[in-house]
Amino acid sequence: MQIRLSRDIGSAAFIAIACAFANTAILVPANAAVEPRALVAPVADYKIYVTGKVRELVTDTRAFTDAVKAGDVAKAKALFAPTRTSYEAIEPIAELFSDLDAAIDSRADDHEQAEKDSGFTGFHRIEYGLFEQNSTAGLAPYADKLMADVLELQKRIASLTFPPDKVVGGAAVLMEEVAATKISGEEDRYSHTDLWDFQANFDGSRKIFELFRPLLGTDDRAFVEKVEANFATVDKILAKYKTADGFQTYDKLTDADRKVLSAAVNTLAEDLSTLRGKLGLG
Amino acid sequence: MTPTSGPAPAPERRPPSAAMKMAVAAAAVLVVAGGIAFYLASRTARHEARDGGEAVTTVTITGRTCEPNALTVPAGRNTFRIVNASDRAVEWEILDGVMVVEERENIAPGFTQTLTAKLAPGTFTITCGLLSNPRGTLHVTPSAESEAMKAAGGPPPVAFIGPLAEYQVYLTLESAALVEGAGRFVAAVKAGDLARAKALYAPARVSYERMGPVADRFADLDAAIDARAEYFERREQDPGFTGFHRLEWGLFAQNSTDGLAAVGDKLLADVASLRQRVRTLDLPPEALAAGAQRVVERIADQKIDGSDNRYAHSDLSDFEATLAGSRKVVDLLRPLAAPLDPTLAADLERQFGEVEAALARYHQGDGFVPYDRIGGDERAALATQLRDLAAAMARLNAALGLS
Ligand SMILES: [Cu+2]
Repeated sequence: MQIRLSRDIGSAAFIAIACAFANTAILVPANAAVEPRALVAPVADYKIYVTGKVRELVTDTRAFTDAVKAGDVAKAKALFAPTRTSYEAIEPIAELFSDLDAAIDSRADDHEQAEKDSGFTGFHRIEYGLFEQNSTAGLAPYADKLMADVLELQKRIASLTFPPDKVVGGAAVLMEEVAATKISGEEDRYSHTDLWDFQANFDGSRKIFELFRPLLGTDDRAFVEKVEANFATVDKILAKYKTADGFQTYDKLTDADRKVLSAAVNTLAEDLSTLRGKLGLG
Repeated sequence: MTPTSGPAPAPERRPPSAAMKMAVAAAAVLVVAGGIAFYLASRTARHEARDGGEAVTTVTITGRTCEPNALTVPAGRNTFRIVNASDRAVEWEILDGVMVVEERENIAPGFTQTLTAKLAPGTFTITCGLLSNPRGTLHVTPSAESEAMKAAGGPPPVAFIGPLAEYQVYLTLESAALVEGAGRFVAAVKAGDLARAKALYAPARVSYERMGPVADRFADLDAAIDARAEYFERREQDPGFTGFHRLEWGLFAQNSTDGLAAVGDKLLADVASLRQRVRTLDLPPEALAAGAQRVVERIADQKIDGSDNRYAHSDLSDFEATLAGSRKVVDLLRPLAAPLDPTLAADLERQFGEVEAALARYHQGDGFVPYDRIGGDERAALATQLRDLAAAMARLNAALGLS
């Protein structure tokens, strides 16, 4: 995360746009059903957030794939985890582009012949080459395809109307995925950079929660506090493993911390799954 | 610019439409998935009879396929019982194109999970385990429930959230582009670079014209940014005459940048205010089609005589931008209208295409042929096409149950 903050992620104009709807929060009294129109501004705001993340992803993927194609193993390894964070941050809505998600982020075991499968492409195929085989040999076509898929994703997002139920539901869906599979360290099994992904996943889910939180009534105050406390717990654990330029490898996570993390993620998944219903999108 | 917006009428305010309030809470044309969290489902892996009597469909995933691999269910709430009979963890998804409607991930070998989804009529695909495995199909047939919804007269209010949000994003981006474009234009004016200022006049207006469908919602700024001379007592000499057309008059009629610096600064301040104002627009759904229809009609009825850019003759550039802004709105609403009025959806697509093609014939270099070179017959033909398009757009709100 520190790396990203120091990087130029776009024009000042864009940053100003990103704050565009900050002052349009609508307060809803206790128990009032949420007016559908009140959801418009946070959905719009979320799309602007995603657009910014995808812009970062395009820039970072270009640098990453350039390093792969230049045969610079050390640089490519160093860029692998930071490049992925903007993708992981928008993973709550990966269901909206499932074909590209499979091309960009599927794991070897989604494919019949695992690492040997010609359909295994994207970040994790390149990760396998870089970290397992310690080489960029044969990776250039995968680098080109990843870049093309990321550019297609940017195009797709630009013209996509975001379905509000998918946006609101996405916060829980991603936490469920972390709880069910990612927590085992399966995602970045060759590089063990899972903590980078986790931070981005939590940030991405939390963004959704924060955008819609103002629409919740006073009756939901306890719910809001509980969700915020669990996000804080998760952040605190991840903070322990931060290094100067990112995170320690996943195997450094102690059993005790993994347990706390796992419990918090499960609770977040459970709690956030009620958000759609609370906002009238059940 | 809206020729009718002289010194400002109060911004239009409408009561919330009856349709918006209508209790179509009885669920969605859109697919709305069941709200059972993954891990809850996984904890209650064994199948139980559900209350409400909804259908339960069992799907068995083997190593290579789903059994059965073609399903047919009635629209409405459906529960699927997914049995993993393969030797690896699998996921099962219902897809609408590339969008996942509902899924269960990480079903362990030998285990069963259930998934509940509210489905609209249509054909979906289902995934079965590995990405390379052949996909199955899920046919959802119309049911009493889905027919009742159609009869209820339009999509439920939640169906408009997505289009309204997407339009809000569009306005945000266009208003930012307006600030940028006006910045470049005014910089040239203030630098005394007459040729460059003239060249940047029409491009600077494009984003403003694209936002035309909502111009009535900030009539005060519209008057400051885009009013024509005839709305002021002393016409071009009137100190109240500001904005794009005041600059246009200086540049094209006076052939000079003299005295325009202050007008330029005011334009920049006004477009900056507009950008702020756009953030707080809270549009009712019926305002989308109504606004888009109005601006197209205004070209046909009023701007067709070239009076809007009477000094620069850059009207065709404005027309194209207005049409693009209207099309954005129609493109957002068409998916909602298509199932309810397929003829209208097709008419709109065809008529937009025709008008766009008609305008494209006048492209020249980066811009357009000057409008004073377009003859009366051609103008009349264009007006007819635009009027027909506006008439089709006028049917949109009715089709959506919004009028
Ligand atoms: Cu991922």
